[in-house]
This record gives sequence, C-alpha cells and structure tokens, in this order.
Amino acid sequence: MAQLGTHLDRPIVGATPAARGRRAWTRALDDSRFFPSLLLVPILIFFVVWNVVPLLWLVGVSFYRYKVTSSREPSFVGWENFAEIFQSTEIWRTLGRTLTFMLLSVGLATILGVLLGLLFWGSQRMPGRRLALTLLFTPMVLPPVAVGTFFRLIYEPNFGVVNYYAQQIVGRRFDFLGDKDLAFFATVAVDVWMWTPFMILMTLAALGSVPKAELEAAEVDRLPWLQRLRYIVLPHGKFILMLGILLRTIDAFKTTDLPYLMTNGGPGNQTELVGLSLYRTGFEAFQMGDASSLAVVTLLVAIAFTSVYLYVLNYRAARVEMR
Amino acid sequence: MTSQDLSTSHAALLRDAMAGRLSRRQALQRAVALGLSAPAMAGLMTAYRSSPVAAQDAPATSPLAGKTIDMSILGIGGWPPSRLGVDLATELFKPYAKETLGYDVNFTFEESPFDQLFQKAATSLQAESAQYNIIISDSQWLGALAEPGWILQLNDIIAENPELQIEFEPAAREGYQIFPDGSDQVWGLPQEGDTIALFVRQDLFSDQAERDAFKAANGGTDLPQTFEDWEQIDIVAFEKIAAHFTRPEQGLAGTAMQWSKVYDYISCYLYPFMFSTGGEIIEGDVGSYKIEGVLDSQVNADAMALNKRFLDYAPNGATNFGIPELVDQFTTGTCATCFQWSALGPQMMNQKAGAAAGEADDPSKPVTPENVMIVAPPAFKQADGSLKRVYALGGQPWTINAFNDADHLQVAVDYMKFWYRPETQLEFARRGGNPSVKATLDDPEFDTLQPHFRAFKYMIREGRSRDFWHDPNYAEMLATQQEAFSAYLTGTVEDPMQALKYTACEQQGILFDGERTEIEPSEACNDVSL
Repeated sequence: MAQLGTHLDRPIVGATPAARGRRAWTRALDDSRFFPSLLLVPILIFFVVWNVVPLLWLVGVSFYRYKVTSSREPSFVGWENFAEIFQSTEIWRTLGRTLTFMLLSVGLATILGVLLGLLFWGSQRMPGRRLALTLLFTPMVLPPVAVGTFFRLIYEPNFGVVNYYAQQIVGRRFDFLGDKDLAFFATVAVDVWMWTPFMILMTLAALGSVPKAELEAAEVDRLPWLQRLRYIVLPHGKFILMLGILLRTIDAFKTTDLPYLMTNGGPGNQTELVGLSLYRTGFEAFQMGDASSLAVVTLLVAIAFTSVYLYVLNYRAARVEMR
Repeated sequence: MTSQDLSTSHAALLRDAMAGRLSRRQALQRAVALGLSAPAMAGLMTAYRSSPVAAQDAPATSPLAGKTIDMSILGIGGWPPSRLGVDLATELFKPYAKETLGYDVNFTFEESPFDQLFQKAATSLQAESAQYNIIISDSQWLGALAEPGWILQLNDIIAENPELQIEFEPAAREGYQIFPDGSDQVWGLPQEGDTIALFVRQDLFSDQAERDAFKAANGGTDLPQTFEDWEQIDIVAFEKIAAHFTRPEQGLAGTAMQWSKVYDYISCYLYPFMFSTGGEIIEGDVGSYKIEGVLDSQVNADAMALNKRFLDYAPNGATNFGIPELVDQFTTGTCATCFQWSALGPQMMNQKAGAAAGEADDPSKPVTPENVMIVAPPAFKQADGSLKRVYALGGQPWTINAFNDADHLQVAVDYMKFWYRPETQLEFARRGGNPSVKATLDDPEFDTLQPHFRAFKYMIREGRSRDFWHDPNYAEMLATQQEAFSAYLTGTVEDPMQALKYTACEQQGILFDGERTEIEPSEACNDVSL
C-alpha cells in the first residue's frame, strides 16, 4: 500500500489537467471518513428497496380492506383487520397448532441432531464416516416441494412403502395423511426427518468450537463424559447450538410447503398452519388487507422469538465475560 | 403407421378438406388409404356438409392480413380438454388463418393445475397484463374474473359475429357463460362441457359367477348390464352393488369418488347427493343471497351422511382422492366402479390417445377399453317414487383477456368463430373433447365418436347437471366448505350438521363482508366452529 501511495503521490509527467483533477478527487474520497459508508450504499439501497419498502407497504395494506378480485377501491379500516384476527377462534387455533408443530419439530430435531452429532463427533475414525455424513445431510438439501411429494407417496395407504412395512409388521395399513389422529404427527415426522441434519451440522460446528487443549486436559484428568459435556463442551458450543435452534424455530413457524403438498391442511383443518392460512388468504382469496394483517402478526411473533433467543444469548455472553 | 403419424395425417387431411383443396371424393379416397375409422370419416365429411365457409372465404380479408401474431392460451395443466383447445389452434386454426384470413398466428400453451390456475391468471391480470390472451377458466371463476374487469364481456362481440350466436346446451350456457347468475351478461364461451359419469368394470359385472352371487344375495336382482339398466339404478341399489364388490382382502373396492380436500373435489361429488335429494346451497340474488338456513338443512345433512357411507366401499386413503388418484385406482383394477368426470373417458378406459378405439394405452394394466362401460351415475328415488339425478357440472369456458390489444382480440375472436364451426367441434369430439354446442350433440354420429359421449350427453341434458356459485368470492366460499366437508368425512367433526352450520355461517359472512348480500350471519354463528 505504501508503494502504491508513493506512486500515486508522485506527479505524473504529461498528465492532463482533467486526469489530475480526477486523481485529486479519488484521493479526497479515499481519505474521507465517509468512504466506508459509501461502500455500503449499494447494499443499503438493495435492503431498502427489497426489505424496508415492502415491509412498510405490508404494514400499510394491513390497515385497508382490499380484495384484489373486487371492483371496490381499497378502503381504510384502521385496526379492524387486527381486531378480526384477535377475535377469530380459527386463527388462534391455527396459531396454537403452529406452535405445537414448531415445538415438536424443533424439539425432536434438536434432540436427534445433538445425539447424532455427538455420535459422529465421537467416532472420528469410523470407516465411511464422510459418506455417512453426506448421506445424512441429503434431506436438508432437498427442496421441500420434492420432499412433500415423495412423502405423500411414501405414506400412501395402498402402495406406499411405509404402509408396506406397516402391513408386514403390525398386519394393517394406515391412512397417515387422511386420518385425523395421524396426519399432524405424520407431517411433523417429515419436518423432523428433513431438518435433523441441520441440527447435526450445528452440533458438529458447536463441538468443533471447543478448544482442543481443554478436551485433552479433561482426557488427562479422566473426567466422566457427562461432566465433560457439561463443563467443557456446552459452555463453548451452546451459542452455535442456540443459533441453530433459533433459525429452526423461525423456519418451523412459517412452514407452509409441507402441509400444502402433503395434506392441503387437512383432514379438516388438522394440519392447517399459519403459513398455509396466510397463503390461502393472500393468494387464494386475494384478501390482501386480511393477509397483510395476519402477516404482520406472524412477523411480530417471529421477532418475539428472535428477541427472546438473542436476549438469552447476550445475557449469557455478558455473564461469561464478567467471569 | 404409428398412431401419432395417423393423427398428423388425419389433421392434414382435415385441413385440406376445410380449406377446399380436396373434393369430397378425393378426401374420401385419402381417408380410406389412411385407414380412418368410420366416425373419423364422418367428421371429415362434415367439412363438406356444413362448411361452405372455407371454400368461400376470400383470402386476406382480415385487417390482420400480412401480420404475424403470437397468442398465449392459459389452461389447466394435465387436463386433456384444455390441451386440445391449444392443439387444434395450432394444427387447424393456424393454417386456416394463413389461408383464408391472410395472417400468421402462433399459439403457446401456459398451464397451471386446477387449484392454482386462478392464482396464475389473477396475478397477471391484476397488473393489467395481456400475458395470456385467452384463458380457459374453471366455470366458477367467471365472477372473480369479470368483477374486476379482467375479462371481456362478450355480449357485443356475439352480437357483431353471427358465427358466435350459437345454441348451447342450457346447462353449458348457465355454467360457462353467465355472470351474475340469472342475468343476460355473457362473459365466457364453452370450451369443454363436462359432467360426472360412472365408470364400470364390465368384465366384472358380466361375469356369470358375480351375477349369480349378487342374485343370491339380493333376492334375485341381477347386476345391471346395459346403459338402460344403469338408468334405473338408484343410490340404494348402487350401495348394494358397491357392497357386493367390496373385498379388501382381494384388493377390490366397490366404488370410489373424489373426497379430497384439494380445490373443489369433495364439493363436486357431495353436491349431487344434496341436489338430487332436494337440498339447496344458496337462495336469492345479488343483495339478498341467503346461505344460512339454506345450506344447513336436514336434507343436506342426510345427504352428507349418505355420501360418507360410501367411504366404506372405497379403497384405502380415499379421503385424499382427487382426479388423478381416481384414474390410477380405476385403471389399476382396484375399483369395480368409479365416479369421474366424463372428460377423462379415454384416460379412465386406459385408451391410447389418437389410436383406434379399443387400443389400450398401457396393456399391462388390468383395465382396458373393451372391459369398461361408461354410464349415468346413480339416481336418487324421490318421495313420489320417481328417479332424479342432479350432478355437478364440470367443464370450462373460454374467456378473453380484457387487456388484449386490437390485433390479439381479433385473433381471439377469429379463433372462437373457428372453434364453433361444426367440423371443428366434431374434430374436438373425435379427439375426446366434450362439445357443448347443441347441434353437435344432436349429430347422429355424435354418440359413437367416443365411448363416454352417451353418458355425457345424457347427463348434460334435462337438468341432470348444474353448476354452483359464480360469485367473485368463490375461492373463500369454496375453501371454507372444503375444510368443513373434509372435517366431517375424516371424523374431525362427527355431526354433519355442525359442518354445514359452520360452512353456512362462514359463507354468509363472506358474502356480507363482500357486499354481495345485506343478510348478516346470525348471532348463533358466534358459537359455531369446527
């Protein structure tokens, strides 16, 4: 850089006044304390155009009665759309169902992910470990549309492979996606299958962040594995693991594609989640005012989750620093 | 010659005949050389019998003469009649436009599944786009497309073009053309007519051992053998037949119909039970629509209970059966009978597209064209002992994008005029499409053109098929009732009246909020939920 600076500072023999002017301008810009901010301008423009403006638009529309397929002009209704949401038992039930789905899906995926992550972490010399890991991660990289379609066929009562084995093992077939008592859990199971690899990945990342020296010291001290986990692994790895849980929670809360493809929210409304309701209100009924207000509520719930997690993370981080 | 070659040669022959390049004798000679079937030849001859237009049209009479126009048709993906609407445009109308109207036209087919077609159309039309110049819409969407002014009202166009002043079957006119119901405003033209038919495994029904067993169990009553026999079958008799063939241990079910929550599947197959037993779903006109107290009637609750009973005679997983699942179930031999849209006649019979009648598309399947009979679905006995059947109307209209420029509008109108020429309608029918033009259905050859045409004609006439709402709030009303009906069928709610009351309250509220009625949902609706 010093060489480059020296080179730029040297007067250029024969340079035109215009070129000298340009050079002075770039040097001034380079020295300016605003230059770093200037570099952020493109991404800021992108962020404002694609995030802020649509968000403000969404919030604005949520105060209107606006149906795309109606000849009526949109009309301002104040908080009416939000009042309808809070008075609607159906929407509260859907939100409750979505929270149950989220808790079950994230909870099970986390437990399985951590267990499998520990298994792979503890078996570094296992033959075929890399291949096994690659295969294990496959569900995560599949598009949900494919997963939903596959599982609709896998669960199919007449020729589905799950029912083939159900017939072999318990002597009967199940209508997994048509039975009111099974459909919800069948959908949760697919979500868990799809996203457990993500939690394995986060667990391995978390375990990778544990300093080797501390692990070796624990080895020398012959610390029991449970205490090793509690006193060495968890304090180092929990932040990454929490981040994984946070991402999965937000993602599970807005799950739309799996129930849409597998059950269309049915039987009845047993698998109708908030994302699917939102989709139906916006893009089937074209009730943009109602859909926007529901989207705002959903967004607020997602922000609440994020805030809680961030608070917990920051609080613990602060405690660690204080120590 | 492969069936595809035959189809291509036949189309070329038809084009030549329609353009007046062949005499009747020459056309017949070429048809014989190609080995065309008698119905196909009959269709060909209509080009001479009823179409002097082709020979008389002066070339380059259109204001578009010399231009090339690209047209896009949005239709239903995987639905053969929609596909035919585009195939015929390319194969027959394109050369016709070149030769008699003097312009070049190219057609592309944009497609979307039933339950997503409106969404695809609406997002484009909302932006006042002419991306899709012609839209094959499901009939119930007429109101939702017409209300915001996205499609053209066709009264003036029809008045200016005598070729479009056609007598359609009354059910088709009401279902595919008019919005609001009962008005004289025309927004669509019938593209494909459709009704529900019953597909029957004739090999099972004619089996002597089956007949004897059924007779023994049912006091000497024989299994129905002919179309006329089936005309006399009511739902009670049909239930006995379905029960007779229900043998899960042999992988055979008595019957199947659509019970899926997706789109309008349950509704279309539950409504016949309501309509045929005197139930109604809505009363009044715009401003006074009444659903609460109409839909939630005891008659309709009984109809729902009866419909649900047939799940006992259906294959596993029937509550997820939609259109394609029924084709799979029936053609793989798991059902003795199956309710299905007649438009899928060739697919349900496992008949090879474009091939001679009787040739199986997939010979490995147990169901082949020769062992399937297509008949009218069961009737419902009335209090006076008479039989009545009122089933749901399927089918789709053509609608024309209101944002088309003058050139595209002209081509759309030209194509509509071409579509309703008798020879085009017969060609559509020959390839398996269901026409709605009364004169075409009256044609002596019509019944023999396709195995499903007799049932289709029987069901589209004399009030045996009817459509449901064309209201702009169709999507919400439909979603509500699909959810409630599905809840009842799958046991999420046990009482059919609860599902009906929930639906009625919700739909009344939707219409009230949409300012389509002044009647508010009652106070009692506050306590109704699924």
